[in-house]
Amino acid sequence: MSDHTVKAYDRDLETLGRRIAEMGGIAEKMLTEAMDALAAFDVALAQRVVLTDPRLDALQREIEESAILTIARRQPLAVDLRECIAAIRISGDLERVGDLAKNIAKRTVKIVGEARVPRAIIGLKSMHDVAALQLKDALDAYAQRDVERARAVWSNDVELDALEDSVFRDLLTFMMEDPRNISFCTHLLFCSKNLERIGDHTTNIAETVVYLVTGESMPTERPKTRVAGSGMDTPADAPH
Amino acid sequence: MTVMPVVKPEISTKVSVRNLDFFYGDSRALKNINIALHTNKVTAFIGPSGCGKSTLLRVLNRMYDLYPKQRAQGEVWLDGENILDPRVDVNLLRSRVGMVFQKPTPFPMSIYDNIAFGIRLYEKLSRSALDARVEEALRCAALWEEVKDKLHMSGLGLSGGQQQRLCIARSVAVQPEVILLDEPCSALDPISTAKVEELIDELSERYTIAIVTHNMQQAVRVSDFTAFMYLGELAEFGETDNVFTAPREKKTQDYITGRFG
Repeated sequence: MSDHTVKAYDRDLETLGRRIAEMGGIAEKMLTEAMDALAAFDVALAQRVVLTDPRLDALQREIEESAILTIARRQPLAVDLRECIAAIRISGDLERVGDLAKNIAKRTVKIVGEARVPRAIIGLKSMHDVAALQLKDALDAYAQRDVERARAVWSNDVELDALEDSVFRDLLTFMMEDPRNISFCTHLLFCSKNLERIGDHTTNIAETVVYLVTGESMPTERPKTRVAGSGMDTPADAPH
Repeated sequence: MTVMPVVKPEISTKVSVRNLDFFYGDSRALKNINIALHTNKVTAFIGPSGCGKSTLLRVLNRMYDLYPKQRAQGEVWLDGENILDPRVDVNLLRSRVGMVFQKPTPFPMSIYDNIAFGIRLYEKLSRSALDARVEEALRCAALWEEVKDKLHMSGLGLSGGQQQRLCIARSVAVQPEVILLDEPCSALDPISTAKVEELIDELSERYTIAIVTHNMQQAVRVSDFTAFMYLGELAEFGETDNVFTAPREKKTQDYITGRFG
């Protein structure tokens, strides 16, 4: 992409991209540390994750403001306009990822006194690994404006949904085995929901990357394999 | 869930340009232009200086006829008639295809006579019928309220924005089918520009409009279709919304985003 005649225009757009990358890095770190804290019952680490969240919120506000000023100043068209819109959308998704990671960390603090079921964490760890990889790939796709990579993230969301189904079934089993497990496993149920929502936000980011590069929207129906009788939510309340 | 396809209303063609070449002496300024102006739609022509957009506009009402070394080759169909045919009555053509220029060009006459002049060339009307036509034209150009009490004042005494609207009124007075606007707002302040853009919105309900503009945002605001021209060729043509949000050609994108040169 050649440079704008007005160099400050290039700088405006580059700043947006850099700030998104910074937000992405913080969100990735929050996600991984929240999971580490949960797996190790590390309350101090969990509390550090919670304290990181305001920085993410502040970055989102800065990015929105920058995008709005760029729109006012430059009246961008075509790809430049899509850059501004993409920055606004992606910063919103990353802010939600941070919130969801923070919520996982807060649960770690809550469950530290409960009877523990270490086996129950294994499923969550798998979910985290998929979600973290999706997030990394989505952010890389944005940084490199890589449509194929973004489409792959979009398609892979179904894996996380399938994992959530199996974690749900496992947690039910643990709860039925022993009522003392119920409190712990219920907290983990919420955590698994948070991880699935994080996956949905990474899919949003991937869709935005495709829009940014091609100007086209992805199909509204995402790949979903809901197992019948699992009691999971219908596509109607799947988040977008 | 099935998605119903969007059915576009019938779009018909008012002016069809086919295989058009244009020469200033030996120099070819337009190369094999093929384009359609759709009925009652606004088509914007954009492109860097010297790309041929004003040249193309001037072919559509044979303005180039006034200059000996300029000639057009090819066909321009206005409804069922090729207007480049030497047998066409160019004066009649220029009442069907009106033109407004960048610099307002009121006649050195009263406001009333500016409008009546063209009508009188083609029609014999009673005084009251003529009065009615003049008023209609001035209302059409959103100028009536401002000038109704001073119709006998010279057209040259109006402000720039008013003069431009007077020129637009003059064009619509002879009941054209197509109106060509060559950078109509370049010399106007923002308020006058807004009034002319509002006028274009209203006029497009009754007339087919082509507008040449250097202002990208104006093209986005006022037009339904956009033609991007480059070095005498039509580089891209499409619905305005698509051309300005996701153009097909890199050159188009470079031009509209300010990456040219």
